[in-house]
Amino acid sequence: MNPRPIVRTASLGKTYLVGNVRVAALEDVTMEVGEGRFVAVTGVSGSGKSTLLNLLGGLDTPSAGTIEVDGALISAMDREALARYRRFGAGMVFQSFNLIMARTALENVELPLIFANVDKKERRRRAADLLERVGLSQRAHHRPAELSGGEQQRVAVARALANGPRILLADEPTGNLDSRTAAEIVGLLAGLNRDRGLTVVMVSHEEGLVREFAHDIVRLRDGRVVSAEGRP
Amino acid sequence: MRFADAVEFSLAGLRKRKLRTFLTASGVTIGIGALVSMISFGKGMQKNVTKAFNASGLFNTLMVLPAGPDPASGDPDDRPRPAAPRPGRSGPALDDAAVAEIARIPGVRLAYPDINIPALIGLEGEEEFRLIRVVPAAVAASRAVQVKWGRAYASDDEKGVIVSRTLVRRLGAGDPAAAVGKTLRVKSVSLDFGRLVAFALGGARSGQGLPLAEGAYDFPIVGVSDIQAFGGGPGLGSNDVLIPPGPARGIERLPITSVWDLFRMSGGRPGYSAVSATLGSLRDLEPVRSRVREMGFSTFALADEFAEVTRTFYVMDMILAAVGMIAIVVAALGIVNTMVMSILERFREIGVMKAVGAGDGDIRRIFFFESGAIGFLGGAAGCVLGWVTSLLINRVANLYLAGLGMPYVDYFAFPIWLFLGAAAFSLLVSLVSGIYPARRAARVDPVVALRHD
Repeated sequence: MNPRPIVRTASLGKTYLVGNVRVAALEDVTMEVGEGRFVAVTGVSGSGKSTLLNLLGGLDTPSAGTIEVDGALISAMDREALARYRRFGAGMVFQSFNLIMARTALENVELPLIFANVDKKERRRRAADLLERVGLSQRAHHRPAELSGGEQQRVAVARALANGPRILLADEPTGNLDSRTAAEIVGLLAGLNRDRGLTVVMVSHEEGLVREFAHDIVRLRDGRVVSAEGRP
Repeated sequence: MRFADAVEFSLAGLRKRKLRTFLTASGVTIGIGALVSMISFGKGMQKNVTKAFNASGLFNTLMVLPAGPDPASGDPDDRPRPAAPRPGRSGPALDDAAVAEIARIPGVRLAYPDINIPALIGLEGEEEFRLIRVVPAAVAASRAVQVKWGRAYASDDEKGVIVSRTLVRRLGAGDPAAAVGKTLRVKSVSLDFGRLVAFALGGARSGQGLPLAEGAYDFPIVGVSDIQAFGGGPGLGSNDVLIPPGPARGIERLPITSVWDLFRMSGGRPGYSAVSATLGSLRDLEPVRSRVREMGFSTFALADEFAEVTRTFYVMDMILAAVGMIAIVVAALGIVNTMVMSILERFREIGVMKAVGAGDGDIRRIFFFESGAIGFLGGAAGCVLGWVTSLLINRVANLYLAGLGMPYVDYFAFPIWLFLGAAAFSLLVSLVSGIYPARRAARVDPVVALRHD
């Protein structure tokens, strides 16, 4: 039986204005993500994968269609509600880690907790816990520049989980990593999915990397879903 | 985001770019420093002049002037003149009888004519031209005249003069204490009627010069008055030689001391150009004034004029503040510039913060506080800078003026509200400067920012 869908999009579209030309990055995407599933979104560069993930993460707003996450209509939210959704509803991980270079690993993980008004002591405790969960306890007080790529991405994953989101959105999280480290990161995400029931949507242009762990694979080309396969 | 966290974020942001923060805050420091020293100078001047006014004792003095166009009156609307003496400009004469009558008005302690005798003053060979002021002994002994060395003359008939420290110095006798007891030679000029006739007949062609006669008189110096800052206000402190009425009568003089006298005298009317009436208290001013007006004279009271002075100082404060404001405006532009630069530099960081859940308000607050912190730090430093600069200028000015024999004066005043106000103003300016950058930072699109390298 299919699990309850936590993410549901209907006829989702996004167009950008490049100069005077309207470019469709995403067209008529209707898909569902079941709760607790590991979903891989694949496609070549420019196929609209990142655009889709930004829309799901509430970083961007669609030009057409709707997005529903856990019963809430993301596509209709105002700026403040979207910020709250990004804070609590969905955690995001990026290809380039996007850590704040001036802050230590621990402080980076604390960042979402600061915006969630968690007090300092509790923040410290939770951030330390999260770093431990991604296996970086002993690197907590290092700045990103002193960490390897894999370590930085682990910090980013810990940060994405800080406020206990129901879904984790990862945009090419292995793109800047060597293949061994890439496999480690995918393994980490798969572990979080398996052990904690975290719903993961991961974008990758390398289908081979995610094949092993993904429950569902959604393939995009030119902004449209060309195929979707799932396994129980 | 909590207040304390926003402050911490802001300070962390500033610490990261120490030099730029320092330079931007320096702009604020200079602006606030200029403002503080400007205003403290204005306040200092005001304080000193008010003090001088008070010391002069002239608040209690009513000037009585002959009716007619009144050159001393600053505000004619205030003083409606009685209708009677108006026609033909021929009011009653301000003569000895009038002086005696004024002296009898209840509330008037003393009335004496203002007489200035132009004379060459000599002391041990040096000579200078001065107006000798005839002042009764009672006034000379009052706080209106501050005799510091020697004493004031004891009676109106004592043969002795009070000279100012300035004059003593000008005439080459350095130590004012030593000047007491020395003899002052007064050479007055008077019309020589014999030469006047010759002058009228021969005119300037004969090359004889003016038909004047000189008379020399010797007076012992009984007292030396101290120099008062700002001339001691418009009082007796500005006169270098004071003489009691008794011996003054013996000095022959030209009956002209000013163009105004000349003008008035040409009308053929005898009398004094002005009479000073010392009042028992300021409360007597109105009744005495109306009484004097009934007599047909016009009046002038310094107490009225002081309101004008206060207004003048208000304008002066505004002008000084405006000069300081220029620096503040420049500093404010510096803050805006720094903050906008900071947004461009931290574009990606803003995107990251938004991606992990920062709201527009959080971002706005971080940048707003950052700008506020620059203003607060700059403002606090500016208060110190303004204070130190003012003290330095005061020191140098006093050092220079001490060389000229002037007493020590604090040219700057530092009321506590000035510092509090300056710090608050600086904070306000920087917060206003932060509005645009903070809004702009909050509007950053996270998708664009995260794509940005």
